Amino acid sequence: MNRFGALTLAIVLLAALVLPNFLKGYGIYLMSMWAVLSIAAMGLNLTLGYAGQVSLAQGAFVGIGAYTAALMMKAGVPYPLCFVSSGLVCFTIGWLLGYPALRVQHHYLAFVTLAFTTLVYLIFRNEEWLTGGTYGLSGIDRPSFFGLSTNGALGFFYFSFGIMVLLTAAAWWMLHSPWGRAFVALRENPVRALSLGLDTRRYTLMAFAIGSSIGGLAGAVFAPLVQYIEPLSFALDLSLNLLLMVIVGGSGFFFGPFVGALIAVLLPEWLRFIQGYYLICYAILVMAMMAFCPTGILGLVQRGVRLVAARRKAQQPTLLPERTSS
Amino acid sequence: MATFIQLLVSGLATGAIYALIAVGFTLLWQTSQTINFAQGEFVMVPAFFILEAMYLGAPFWLAALIGIALSVLLLGLTFKLIIVDPMLKHGVLPLVISTIALSLFMKEMVKNLYSSQAQPFPALVAPYDFHILGAVISSQSLAVLAVAISAVVLLHLLLHKTRLGRAMQATAQNPTLARILGISVRRMVLYTFMINAVLCAIASILISPIYLAKFVNGETLGIAAFLAAIIGGFNQVRGAIVGGFLIGILDNLSAAYISSTYRAASPLLILIVIIMFRPQGLLGRVEERTV
Amino acid sequence: MSAVLEVSNLRKSFGGITAVNGVSFDVHEGEILGIIGPNGSGKSTLFNCVLGQLTPNDGEVRIDGKPTTGMRPCDLNRLGVSRTFQLLQVFPQLSVRDNLILAGQEHQGTMFSRLFGASDAGMGDAASQMIDFFRLSHLAHEQAGSLSYGQQKLLDAAMAFMAGPRLVLLDEPAGGVNLTMLANLRERLQAYHAERKATFVVIEHQMEFVMALCTRVLVLAEGRVIAEGLPQDIRKNPIVIEAYLGH
Repeated sequence: MNRFGALTLAIVLLAALVLPNFLKGYGIYLMSMWAVLSIAAMGLNLTLGYAGQVSLAQGAFVGIGAYTAALMMKAGVPYPLCFVSSGLVCFTIGWLLGYPALRVQHHYLAFVTLAFTTLVYLIFRNEEWLTGGTYGLSGIDRPSFFGLSTNGALGFFYFSFGIMVLLTAAAWWMLHSPWGRAFVALRENPVRALSLGLDTRRYTLMAFAIGSSIGGLAGAVFAPLVQYIEPLSFALDLSLNLLLMVIVGGSGFFFGPFVGALIAVLLPEWLRFIQGYYLICYAILVMAMMAFCPTGILGLVQRGVRLVAARRKAQQPTLLPERTSS
Repeated sequence: MATFIQLLVSGLATGAIYALIAVGFTLLWQTSQTINFAQGEFVMVPAFFILEAMYLGAPFWLAALIGIALSVLLLGLTFKLIIVDPMLKHGVLPLVISTIALSLFMKEMVKNLYSSQAQPFPALVAPYDFHILGAVISSQSLAVLAVAISAVVLLHLLLHKTRLGRAMQATAQNPTLARILGISVRRMVLYTFMINAVLCAIASILISPIYLAKFVNGETLGIAAFLAAIIGGFNQVRGAIVGGFLIGILDNLSAAYISSTYRAASPLLILIVIIMFRPQGLLGRVEERTV
Repeated sequence: MSAVLEVSNLRKSFGGITAVNGVSFDVHEGEILGIIGPNGSGKSTLFNCVLGQLTPNDGEVRIDGKPTTGMRPCDLNRLGVSRTFQLLQVFPQLSVRDNLILAGQEHQGTMFSRLFGASDAGMGDAASQMIDFFRLSHLAHEQAGSLSYGQQKLLDAAMAFMAGPRLVLLDEPAGGVNLTMLANLRERLQAYHAERKATFVVIEHQMEFVMALCTRVLVLAEGRVIAEGLPQDIRKNPIVIEAYLGH
């Protein structure tokens, strides 16, 4: 990351830490929601932006993570264990789901995850003994750590923000390891990658499973945030929303999901005056984006930066002709 | 036994509708590599065109024709020219995302512009129960079967017995060669989109009396179509038909014999099994592995 | 000397067209085998069958005696088989150095050990050596997509060699390369061959390139082997001349 990027990041982090002190309860709640959605979108970005697979089940994994964590918390299990369990459960399910679907092409994973989301919703709705059915699970407590409670809006925000930073750092580390290089290769040129010994199937499956488990971890933070979860929250709409977040932010860009999540959280607020029509606007925006700039907002930013850099280079005087070494 | 026959017949009827939707979906994929995630909404919307036309005074048969015409115009022509064409140069993924956004768009438009409540939709024929072998079979089921099968037969005749149809098939199999032979590939692809719109409109007319016209219909119908297409074999029209019938029957049988709350589970499980053991689908050919 | 590559009765059809019609040949260690033939003779199809990109309808492929017919390309690569591509296949967004590290990293340890190991999977030095060997040092940190065609060809070859393969299949390495670069490429291939005693199989159209580089030549026409022998003999072979001129 260059200096400009690092500076922007530092400013954003600082702003995120300071801003909530000037907001009312609802505003802070929105910021916590942004943190949660960013985590879920980041997981989906791994599947979609890095491994190139469309998953329509990220919302379902958030739900699985949420219910897992909520049920465990209600049973008195300490939060860290609940958190980790959500991730592990979703990783396993993701692996099992992806294994058959990724052995073939044609975006089969998209359809399998679509059907899976429906199935998961049905299970949430029907298995009242476990999930409370349509009544959902209420009275989910917010965790406390070393005597510090996260009950208040501000306290919970710092908690969710901290988890977001932690997971982002972990993702950053992974993407700068040989795995990250493999993911880029997978995305850019899978045929070549395969001929170099890269097991494309294994890496794609891994990306999907990890992405899904991150969705589960987001769910584990979502549950104590909203303190009441029900099946409808995790139906297809959430998966579609997360997908659009990743796309709008810029699929394949590391910070794309954060931008996308921000828009997803703010848009309904800004467009409140047109109420239900905001989703229509959002959909039109996405379609227009796909036609003119499929790389999303960060893609646009990158284009702009490159344009500026190229113009600056062209304006630089050159005394000697460019050396061509071919 | 009587119940079984009843379920079978009604399953065949719904299956026939799914088959229509799946065939349209497969045609789009075959000819232009378009994965239309909004296919379910394409079936949901025409019903509302028709309802609106009837609200404005048209009799059902006229409203139906208007609905089909509007579908061809909007879901066929406009869809291809405004959404698919600009998108294709960016690759398959942006197009997939666009159709996902489109499905959201269509759903919300109907919800906001018309109603979020389920609307009753007129049936094709007057309700009458036939008693065959002790089973009660509704006239509606028979009418649905008749219309759907006619549509499929007509489509088959079009594709295989007319020059136009053969040109369309050529385009699907080898666009470059088709172009060399003087076939206008663009126009053939456009026709496919229009045919898909007609199939979706017909499916809409057939299924809305049963399911009622709701803005959320697209989800279930879409999933059924995709599953039918995959189970039958992603690139085979015949497979889509078989897949559609299979899902329709299974859906009905599992709802009755297994559990009505989990009726959506059986197609999913079949899908997993098919993908694991026969990924080319029941009737598909094994494709060359490139990756 | 055992045969590194054995192809027996390979057949591949696409619908009604039989692209490869019962081809058999062996390649021994240290050889540089050239496969030539007019367009449509089945050379690329043959390659793709050997390399797991296509599954042959009939016949067998063995690497070091081990049957590998229909194996996935990544598994073949782990056995020590590598290839270059006719149409350029580098990773345009990665730097030259990263391209090479990628080419070698999948052979270091397991997938998991790589996650927790060094960021370059220990391939940093090997990559630098390869960059120097192919005289691309001044471009090490450039994006591969910004290199010239000839430079990308060199990179493609370099990537194929990164994992120290026993057998390298080169698919039209000379295609579209200018004369100076061509001499450079041939010289580097010969140098690599001499140093590592690798075995090459080369598909090529350009006669001079084949004659200068290869130790033995196989001629394919219409999916069948029509001649085999030393380069200078093949050049004078009437059947071969007929096959080329007849098209």
